[in-house]
Amino acid sequence: MDCREVEGLLDAYLDGELEPAVSTSVRTHVDACAACRQRLAKVESIGRMVRRAPYYQAPAGLRARLTQARPRPRATSHWLGWAAAVVMVASLTGSVLMLKSAQAPRTLDSVDAVAQEVVSGHVRALMGEHLFDVRSTDQHTVKPWFLGKLDFAPPVTDLAQAGFPLTGGRLDYVADRPVAALVYTRGQHTINVFVWPEASGAVRSSDARAIRGFHVRHWSRAGMSYWAVSDVNDTDLDQFVHALQQ
Amino acid sequence: MPRSFEEVVLPHLDAAFNYARWLTKNDADAEDVVQDAYLRALRFFSSLRGEDARAWLLTIVRNTWYGRFPRRAGSAVMTVADEEEDHRADASLDPEAQLIQQQTVEQVRRALETLPTDFREVLVLRELEGLSYKEIAAIVGIPLGTVMSRLARARERLAGVLATRELSGGHRGLP
Repeated sequence: MDCREVEGLLDAYLDGELEPAVSTSVRTHVDACAACRQRLAKVESIGRMVRRAPYYQAPAGLRARLTQARPRPRATSHWLGWAAAVVMVASLTGSVLMLKSAQAPRTLDSVDAVAQEVVSGHVRALMGEHLFDVRSTDQHTVKPWFLGKLDFAPPVTDLAQAGFPLTGGRLDYVADRPVAALVYTRGQHTINVFVWPEASGAVRSSDARAIRGFHVRHWSRAGMSYWAVSDVNDTDLDQFVHALQQ
Repeated sequence: MPRSFEEVVLPHLDAAFNYARWLTKNDADAEDVVQDAYLRALRFFSSLRGEDARAWLLTIVRNTWYGRFPRRAGSAVMTVADEEEDHRADASLDPEAQLIQQQTVEQVRRALETLPTDFREVLVLRELEGLSYKEIAAIVGIPLGTVMSRLARARERLAGVLATRELSGGHRGLP
């Protein structure tokens, strides 16, 4: 091994991440090479330095909030885990409504099922980091993007004036059909709006609920079914829906 | 008997906060991120199967932070080019190494905070959390080889920051 090869391996050597044979080669070279010994000493000293940096421990208040918010010591089943999560969200946000739905999981009717699906779609998009197929703040770019990808034209309106800028859109899949998902933001928060044509004969409904800590709004307008999902607070989401309905 | 969320995840609350604190660089945002991450962890707890709970939780912390601060997270990513060569003159090594030894904890903290997030986080995960390259690769979502090169460059950059500060009179440019 020459100096150049060894130089590129010094960090991994010190971190004990090299294969034993490679590690031995590095050690042999370093033993014989003053320049590389010096480099090694430098890397070592930087490591020691960083280890002196502060290790921030969780503040007591945060720890208390997180532990006291969980009344049940065990989450052994899927349902219990969910219920506990919702109970905790409820206790953090002070909403009683969520507590009730968690304690008595109802049989899902179709609206409930769709509500669950749009929340899953929202979470999936945020966690999977596939939030956009088309990323643009221009409604005249986002709207035509859906052309030919859906059998309907979703209404696309930028709401930047109202404090909810449009940031893009994507195709999603809800209620056994491809739907348009429009993405808006409010500060750090993301609002997903799912839009598709109402099935003929469907009962028109509007709906506000909270699922797994997310706020959900549903309404129908001009033959389209809308679902808005976000972690923004209720007031902001209502304001958003109002702006979208203008 | 499956172990409870408390037994498995709570012991890593400090690790979660420390990581979040270094990512966000302030207490309030770090608390928000950890609280959100904790909720997500609770939600996805049933999907944790035998992996290391700390690395699993830290991955959730990182994703939460990334989701909450996409612009900051994104700009940090842009500043790092892992392939870029960054060699310093060998002649400067000796005094530099000496200077590095003289830094105070506060100077180290500030120097770390000036690094791009991508560099800072691998240093924190390796040196403060003591994680393996494999665990860091999983948390940050980069290949093993990139962990190695990024750590090397991060240490180099940090040494550069510390040495420059010292030579130019210590606190120049700092609040």
